[in-house]
Order: sequence, then structure tokens, then C-alpha cells
Amino acid sequence: MTTLKVDSRGTSCPGPITDLIRAYRESSNGDVIELLATDPGVKADTKAWCERTKNELLNITEENDVYKVEIRIVSKRTR
Amino acid sequence: MVDSMAKKGLNFVMFSGTADKFIPLGVLTQSAVNLEMPVSIFVTGWAIQGFRKDGYKKVNRMPKEFEDLVPDLMKGMEEMKAPSWYDMLKEAKEMGDVKVYVCSMMAGAFKIDTKNDLDPIVDDVVGAAAFLQMCEDREVIFI
Repeated sequence: MTTLKVDSRGTSCPGPITDLIRAYRESSNGDVIELLATDPGVKADTKAWCERTKNELLNITEENDVYKVEIRIVSKRTR
Repeated sequence: MVDSMAKKGLNFVMFSGTADKFIPLGVLTQSAVNLEMPVSIFVTGWAIQGFRKDGYKKVNRMPKEFEDLVPDLMKGMEEMKAPSWYDMLKEAKEMGDVKVYVCSMMAGAFKIDTKNDLDPIVDDVVGAAAFLQMCEDREVIFI
């Protein structure tokens, strides 16, 4: 179980989710992905992504226009 | 709605040839892949020029009616360092199930050599019936 940090600050939609997915591919169930982004769409988009992929949205915080989204990977399929 | 689209996938009819319309094509395709939806793009009309060999480099016309706003858009996109629609499509193809089909009728009308003059991003040249068949259980967006 590790925390994967993804810095997507400065990218615009769909950059943060694309960066999230790159990390997701490297992740295992139980890992937490910590995504930093400045695109305000990241809040709704990570929510939609978690609903779609059945992963767990732990927390979204905002500080100085930077959003921090924490997601626990729980439903990664083995290919 | 998102969920039902996600299950089946998303198809685009890409008709417009102006650069502004290629932006949503790239963004929505990439986003669909991010949500694990399969995507098929049917390229027809003016858009076909953007899918010729190196055609993506020439997609720079903007719609006349929004001429006054074009500089703002270009500047904004540059400041956001937004990737080009072509790079987004390419990446979406690497990451997920994205197919690009060129309309055989429009390719014929423009006398495009479909064996040698299409961008490698194109998967196949098909007729409308084949595309409609692919649309059977998917949402279709016309751009």
C-alpha cells in the first residue's frame, strides 16, 4: 500500500483525469492516489471517475486555488 | 446519463472543419477514454481535411462569426498549455478503445487517395451503413 502523488497543477481539462489514469495504471488495490490540480473541473470529474470505476473518493480539499483529491484504489481489475 | 453512455460507448460524427470544433473532439474523446468508454469517430465533411496526411497541421481556420473572440481563445489555450486536439486523440488511442473512420463518400468527393494520403491515426475507410451499425447501441454526437 503506497501513496502515489500526481501533480497536475497547471493542466486544463481533461489533463488532471488523464494524469490520474496514468497513476491508476501503475497502482494496486489499497493504494491512495493524491492528485493536485488547479483546474476547477477536477472536483466533479474525479467524482464522476470514481463513480464510474468504483474507486473510493476519500477527500477533496482546496487551498490557494489548488485542489487536492485523494482516492483510494479499491476496484482495479487484473488484466 | 453518464452511466448509460459509459456502458455502451460514444460515437462522434466529425463534420466541421474549423479549428474550434476540433477542440471538443479531442477533449471529449480523451474524457470518454478516461471513463473507460469505447469511442468511434466518423470523419466526414470538411473535417476530412484534418485527417489527411499531416492535415492536422493545417487545421487553423476559425469561424467568421466569432472572429472577434478568436484571439482571446488562442491566447487562453496557449496560457493553459492545452494539448492539441491531435495529441489528445493520439493519446486517447494509446490509452483506450478509440477508432477513427473516414467517410468513403467524402474521401471520394475530395479525390483523396485513401491508401496513401490519410493520417496514420485513421483506422479505416467506411461507408455510412458501417458507421450507423457501430452506432446501434451508442450515444452519437455530431460536431
